Amino acid sequence: MKHKQIDISELQAELEKLHGASFGWALSCCRRDRAEAEEVLQTVYLKILEGKARYRGESSLKTWLFAVIRKTAITELRKRLLRALKSIAIPNSTTGLNSFVAEPAAAFERSEAQQQFQRALERLPARQRQALHLVFYEDLSLREAANVMGVSIGSARQHYERGKKHLRVSLNREELDYGISWERKGNPGAVS
Amino acid sequence: MELVGNEKEIQALFRELKLADERVAPEFISVWNRAQATRPAPSRVFKISLAVATTLFVIVLSALVLWSRTGQRSERAHPGVATESTTPDSTPAPPAAMPLPTRPTQIVVAQPPNRVKSNRWDRKLAARRQADRDARNAIIREAVSISSWQSPTATLMQSPADDVLTSLPQLDRSLTELKTFLPNTPQ
Repeated sequence: MKHKQIDISELQAELEKLHGASFGWALSCCRRDRAEAEEVLQTVYLKILEGKARYRGESSLKTWLFAVIRKTAITELRKRLLRALKSIAIPNSTTGLNSFVAEPAAAFERSEAQQQFQRALERLPARQRQALHLVFYEDLSLREAANVMGVSIGSARQHYERGKKHLRVSLNREELDYGISWERKGNPGAVS
Repeated sequence: MELVGNEKEIQALFRELKLADERVAPEFISVWNRAQATRPAPSRVFKISLAVATTLFVIVLSALVLWSRTGQRSERAHPGVATESTTPDSTPAPPAAMPLPTRPTQIVVAQPPNRVKSNRWDRKLAARRQADRDARNAIIREAVSISSWQSPTATLMQSPADDVLTSLPQLDRSLTELKTFLPNTPQ
């Protein structure tokens, strides 16, 4: 797959394999807003179809696709903010936790620990959340995560470490608030 | 990447989240098809631009044909309009290079036959051409009058010794010889 151009039908097959992960990453970039994530993913596929986003084989397809999704999500977010500023109306599709409230059935299915975890994730800065998502959710290395995020590996490592620290603090706070235990098993140390 | 301590728990939470996301993820084909549906067809765009270009070309072409036909018809409506000069549109030469005619170029305008009834456009065109010719004739007349102009005091500048002054002196000859050779010199 590396260092070669692939045609659209081959690319479509590869995209289909990565679709689940792409949607998860789009959700993370869109602060867990499902509708927005779908829209972003659709826009990404449109960009690929129109040739605006072209895979040149410089990195793995997954890394490239995730970078395109991240950029598209940022662009879409800016557009929405502009629209909101123009209309000066209360946004009807609030991001983040409220999207879970909008889907009560789905939220009900999730365990309480999972809900706490998602709330804690929501509180994290975007870069830290993305670093954690790419490493833990997508099993990417820090170098690949840095490529996707468009930052240096040192910066990615910093976001990752800070993200973990903030997540722990946040989960501990949740534990105090709700009386649910969050076991700390020591300092994880360096990530190889 | 080695995971230790609560990293494994974080990963477990992320795995759980991933499974939940996979359950609610839309089908790839539906998103792909929607993206394809929103994509503007390039052939359609090309066809539209081609049709617009063709229409514009036809309009311009027909306008040119109409314009040229109108010009020909007006020429036919005024067959007697002719000038003595070579071409009606040629610009007059500068006055110094032009041979001095005894009288300025006259434009002979024959009256159109009464039976030919020119329409308003033809009359306007003819009037404009006539005005152009009049203006050109006026310029020519002015140029001729300027080139043949003489000062009123020019006769005062004439003298009996004009011939001596205007003739060339001859070298290697004495004055007496010169007198014999120059018949017009006063004795």
